[in-house]
Amino acid sequence: MSWQRQRERGSLGALRLMGWVITRLGYRAAWLLLYPITGYFLLSSPRQRRAARLFLGRALGREAGWRDLFRLFFTFSATLLDRVFLLDGQRRGFRIEVQGMEALDARIAAGRGCILLGAHIGSFDALRAVADAGCPVEVVALMHGDHAAISRDFFAQHAASRHTTVIPLGQPDAMLRAKECLDRGGLVGILADRAPAMPGRTGGMRVVHVPFLGRPAAFPEGPHILAGVLGAPVMLAYGVWTGPRRYQVRFEPFAERIVLDRRRRQEAIAEAAAAYALRIEAVARAYPYNWFNFHDFWEEMDAS
Amino acid sequence: MSSALAIESEVASLIVEALHLETRAEEIDPDAPLFGEGLGLDSIDALEIALAISRRYGFQLRSDDERNGQIFASLRNLAAHIEKHRQR
Repeated sequence: MSWQRQRERGSLGALRLMGWVITRLGYRAAWLLLYPITGYFLLSSPRQRRAARLFLGRALGREAGWRDLFRLFFTFSATLLDRVFLLDGQRRGFRIEVQGMEALDARIAAGRGCILLGAHIGSFDALRAVADAGCPVEVVALMHGDHAAISRDFFAQHAASRHTTVIPLGQPDAMLRAKECLDRGGLVGILADRAPAMPGRTGGMRVVHVPFLGRPAAFPEGPHILAGVLGAPVMLAYGVWTGPRRYQVRFEPFAERIVLDRRRRQEAIAEAAAAYALRIEAVARAYPYNWFNFHDFWEEMDAS
Repeated sequence: MSSALAIESEVASLIVEALHLETRAEEIDPDAPLFGEGLGLDSIDALEIALAISRRYGFQLRSDDERNGQIFASLRNLAAHIEKHRQR
């Protein structure tokens, strides 16, 4: 998945540049820089632009124009800017509204832990900021290599997040560590909208195709298998950018438990993934400019 | 059949059953790596194997065990580890 690697490398470069600008010139100067940075991203990545146009067309229910594309890329750049602060634990000047905290608290109090299904929507740094601000139990985030590397790189330079541990996916013990966290009553975050870059057993990808915005798209099975195997309650969690240093973080109940009956295991996984896709679809329609999957989501771009 | 071979074939069956593999238990090469190359298992498989082992043999595999790389290196190593730590 070279597009992904390229994108992340580009993000890291932009992140470093913004870090430098902010320390020298302050937040406002960095904010003004978002315009040329967005313009640069927009003009220099035709493939991502095309993918974004396909997504926006479906989410908005109309043809997406340059204005829509700019808004999407700008929102992405704005979350990158905020990332410099949020990863560093600096929340001054930020307003992060939280909805659904009572529902999450109830699951934490039950002591069985909770799986938080996220998506590449908005900012998971905003989510992490909420966890750091006083979650009573431990939080781990399962992440693919590239994200894990960026976070690690950044933590090396800045004070690390106090509460959240990143577990890189792809190591054999990743899921075992997630289980142990749940056993201790902790929270396990996992992004469930991007198909894994690595093939699973016997070359088969652990993905399932379910309807998303009117067309089947590949979603990972892993998060739902994890939830089913461990029997933990599942919630949706996401933080959308609503304005300069403004975020809305939401926790929504998803399933008390996902039951993977032995005989119809595959169907149960597909049902859970379809239910997730349907919920994420609603979020994507409500906040289309917070959708940060800039790849060929429906695997249609290379089809002639 | 020696006891080492017996436990190896027992663990092979456990893996095949826990992971709903198409492979037959006796086809698993006891020296081949379980993850990546070889059988090609992933971290979800590792979790399911750990749960199956805890149900059958009454002890937990732990992620903070430094020997995990070695334990999960092959069916042979995994079987030997189980033989040593099993509670039932």
